[in-house]
Amino acid sequence: MFVARSIAADHKDLIHDVSYDFHGRRMATCSSDQSVKVWDKSDSGEWHCTASWKTHSGSVWRVTWAHPEFGQVLASCSFDRTAAVWEEIVGESNDKQRGLSHWIKRTTLVDSRTSVTDVKFAPKHMGLVLATCSADGVVRIYEAPDVMNLSQWSLQHEISCKLSCSCISWNPSSSRAHPPMISVGSDDNNVTYSGKVQIYEYNENTRKYAKAETLMTVTDPVHDIAFAPNLGRSFHVLAIATKDVRIFKLVPLRRDSTTSSGPTKFEVQLLAQFDSHNSQVWRVSWNITSTLLASSGDDGCVRLWKANYMDNWKCTGILRGDGSPVNGSSVQGLALNTPGSSGAPTPQNSVAGAASAGRYEAQLILRMADFIER
Amino acid sequence: MEKMTCVSPLSGKTMFCHLDAPANAISVCRDATQVVVAGRNIFKIYAMEETGFVERLNLRVGRKPSLNFSCADVMWHQSDENLLATAATNGAVVTWNLSRPCRNKQELLFTEHKRTVNKVCFHPSEAHMLLSGSQDGFMKCFDLRKKESVSTFSGQSESVRDVQFSMKDYFTFAASFENGNVQLWDIRRPDRYERMFTAHTGPVFCCDWHPDDRGWLATGGRDKMVKVWDMTTNRAKEIHCVQTIASVARVKWRPERRWHLATCSMMVDHNIYVWDVRRPFIPFATFEEHKDVATGVAWRHPHDPYVLLSGSKDSTLYQHMFRDASRPVDRANPEGLCFGLFGDLAFAAKESLMAGDAGRKPYPGGDRRYPIFFFKKPDVTEQFAQVSSALSVFEFEANGGDEGRGRMDWFVETARRYLLTGKPFAELCDHNAKVAKELNRPQVSTTWTMLRIMYSDPGNPATPANHNISKLGNIPLMISLKEMSSALNERNKENRVDNLHNLETNLNIDENEETEGSEGQAEYLFGDAELDDDDLYSMEHDNQTEEPEYILPQEAFPLRHEIVDHPSAPEPPAEKPESPQVSGGETEGSCLTPMESFSLISVSQLLFQPRLPPGFFSPVVRAALTHYAELGDVQMAVSALIVLGERIRKEVDELTQEHWYMSYIELLQRFELWNVSNEVIKLSTCSAITCLNQASTTLHINCSNCKRPMNNKGWICDRCHQCASVCAVCHHVVKGLFVWCQGCSHGGHLEHMREWLKHSNHCPAGCGHLCEYT
Repeated sequence: MFVARSIAADHKDLIHDVSYDFHGRRMATCSSDQSVKVWDKSDSGEWHCTASWKTHSGSVWRVTWAHPEFGQVLASCSFDRTAAVWEEIVGESNDKQRGLSHWIKRTTLVDSRTSVTDVKFAPKHMGLVLATCSADGVVRIYEAPDVMNLSQWSLQHEISCKLSCSCISWNPSSSRAHPPMISVGSDDNNVTYSGKVQIYEYNENTRKYAKAETLMTVTDPVHDIAFAPNLGRSFHVLAIATKDVRIFKLVPLRRDSTTSSGPTKFEVQLLAQFDSHNSQVWRVSWNITSTLLASSGDDGCVRLWKANYMDNWKCTGILRGDGSPVNGSSVQGLALNTPGSSGAPTPQNSVAGAASAGRYEAQLILRMADFIER
Repeated sequence: MEKMTCVSPLSGKTMFCHLDAPANAISVCRDATQVVVAGRNIFKIYAMEETGFVERLNLRVGRKPSLNFSCADVMWHQSDENLLATAATNGAVVTWNLSRPCRNKQELLFTEHKRTVNKVCFHPSEAHMLLSGSQDGFMKCFDLRKKESVSTFSGQSESVRDVQFSMKDYFTFAASFENGNVQLWDIRRPDRYERMFTAHTGPVFCCDWHPDDRGWLATGGRDKMVKVWDMTTNRAKEIHCVQTIASVARVKWRPERRWHLATCSMMVDHNIYVWDVRRPFIPFATFEEHKDVATGVAWRHPHDPYVLLSGSKDSTLYQHMFRDASRPVDRANPEGLCFGLFGDLAFAAKESLMAGDAGRKPYPGGDRRYPIFFFKKPDVTEQFAQVSSALSVFEFEANGGDEGRGRMDWFVETARRYLLTGKPFAELCDHNAKVAKELNRPQVSTTWTMLRIMYSDPGNPATPANHNISKLGNIPLMISLKEMSSALNERNKENRVDNLHNLETNLNIDENEETEGSEGQAEYLFGDAELDDDDLYSMEHDNQTEEPEYILPQEAFPLRHEIVDHPSAPEPPAEKPESPQVSGGETEGSCLTPMESFSLISVSQLLFQPRLPPGFFSPVVRAALTHYAELGDVQMAVSALIVLGERIRKEVDELTQEHWYMSYIELLQRFELWNVSNEVIKLSTCSAITCLNQASTTLHINCSNCKRPMNNKGWICDRCHQCASVCAVCHHVVKGLFVWCQGCSHGGHLEHMREWLKHSNHCPAGCGHLCEYT
């Protein structure tokens, strides 16, 4: 199903993050060696490093792309307590001919007193907005009032989460019915503080972010968090990487129009929980249509999760580093089931069903065609 | 030496005590039982006991302490436990003898330096030799048996920040300077340094000789770096470089650990780090107790690597135990993962993880404290392993076939080939159904077909069956239609989901057990549309109807029957949030995807078609579209929305529509399908969407003749009164597509320019510019 294309990254220490750009043709990696590399995909599908530069004076934890409408812009965050915004300069320099591009630092955000653990650009419709979170438990939201001037960022909001933050995710929904929302995960080791995932929502009236929800059931350190792309859904889906993979569904409850000052209340459902990594899960990532979730854990494998129409999630693939499927993956994957769906069909059945679905469909069409003929 | 190595880790814990004032430096007594803390306003000796620090002696005596007590540095003699030396901020170097019987322990006072003395250093083995380095740029060597210095070394550089006797070479000492230089001196030759090299950009605040490796010198500077130099070669060779996050104030090699050193910073960063110089990017261990910068660090015992002492500007003195240190490496994320646009996955992971080694232990849970006995074993946590990450991209195989569904090609193809407008409704549906079918998406294809059937004009020749039926009831049915639709609408309003549910249930159960609701309804609805028409009857017979008087059920049930007979029973629609009970036990096995169940509904309703108003299907279609959107296929939702147009628009609330449009447009733009995206924007009926095309549509242009900005709206330039946008090839005014060179601003009709540039690289206007069009 998958072919693995190995890339000689040549980072001198661990790579902590990889990130595709909006159009999927560029990739950025960041590493503890304090550098960020940008990779461009050639027409033949090969990845070439077109830029590599030292970004910070500490481990670079995350790198992320801005919407291309704002230019070729990257943000990075680091152990050195700063986050930085970078812009690619297109010039007619010799660099271009040598296949190298030039990135210059537009700003350094120095408000944090501890390691900045995550940085994310807000969805485009909010403008040029950047959120960072830090190990001292503060989420900061910056805005560039003038999108043409990337060197000016003003600190708009500071949200204190109390717990050491490890990851943030913006709700990507562009619907006007969904106010800006950001979820924060904490990697605090103390399991007695429950609620390692908090969700904050922007309130139009108070112009502040207020806590909308705390996922109390998440008690272990959270390493990654990701809202699924929302392509026209009324609800939100959130994937969490903690000691297992969890998928939550947040259904906004209708609020009374008269008392709309408070944050939206949600009905929180746990859609799935998988511990098949058998270890810490470090990363979760959604595909763009939010039909597939990939997770990676300490077992060195990437697992792919997919839901059927009943919202039953199951494993559809396990990938080793070299792309080879893991032996017995199907068995392992199918043995899992969503908690709380005892009445649900067994996965084996659904697989058989999926196979027969096409056939069935064909019959249906035939029958209809019959009918129409008559 | 003493067998402290094994004993010491067992005794002691992380502890601290409050000082009266910020500390500037600390130094440990030879037997590791006492520590001296010196600062601008403090000069005290503390004993380190099991449970805490105990103040032993305050050396600041006298009613009005002189500036000589204001210490910048302090050092305890390494062999004489009664002998201390301090460096004062006023330039004095003072020695103290603890064995003096009176309260004032001050012994000697040297006031030869003119400015602050930054550092004092006893010779490691020579009892009477003391070295000082000062802000005034001089280093002096004192013989404690004399009243004055025996030799003065002039660095010929700027201020001296640190001086350190070599551990191994009796006569050698190193000095670091504010201009970034490090000098090596022979104590016997005060006239000239042995060697000098530039170690850092900016001041070198500290240096430390390796306790075991002869000739290894670590230096730390304001440039945030710690460098390790090999001094045994002719030229000082940099062998390691550690980048920290703040200027380095102190550096101290860790005892018994060849590659480890501890650093603290001069400002901003309050932590104390222990680095493995072989892995210069992530600290090996971190002590995070201090609230302000640490100013002095010292390993408690020269052979015990587990206990570190530190004094700080926050007026505390800490004893750090190594087992309580935080290990940044353990918290550092070893993996990166990202889904690409086309369904490819980028994955970076620590190589040991990729290889499938049990490189990392299962997570030990909360606290990372290791049991004490652990230290006696070869310490796994302190073993060094070279780390690096492997990066790979997983791509879908090009000929993935059906399995390649994760690949997004289908999306692009569909977007390109779908027809959204410009043809009769039925043809659009058929076309789109065909496209979907060719792309191996039968569900979507069926949905399009359904839509066509549901909404087609009854008289449409494309659907002969409909045509057939429609003949029969045009007039008589009109009445019943009204009744029915009102009834249905009420019902729908009350509980649309229920409606769906009922229909669904009907599909599942035997025809004799029809729910009352649907049967009764049907009866009522079609009661007075009682039919004498032969056509219809014959059709019913074909379908093996048993109750000829009820038209609706009769037509619908045979199909249901067949479906029930099918080995895999249909599933209820995935309307889980609203009716979770539907998806319960009655299903025998899940074999149908939701769209198929929707299709089923559609099939059963298809038979109503000729006699139902289009609005009848709206709830179902709306549910179908919503479901597509929830499944992540917003493309279907939007395409159907556009194709159906007015037929469905009213049914879906404006906000949802807008959300769908926005999502779809963003997706299209991600795939760089600008034309499709623009078409969608144009065809959308949401005001918020259509106005997307109105934004930033202004082009500021200059006149091609006089190069001045064009201000007015017409074709004529204000200044030169000539027509501005003339095609350089045909000399006519260009209206519509105008292409021009950004270099010389000449241009014209797209076609003409293209033609011209086939033959010539030069600008057609004759300006001599080599135009480039991309």
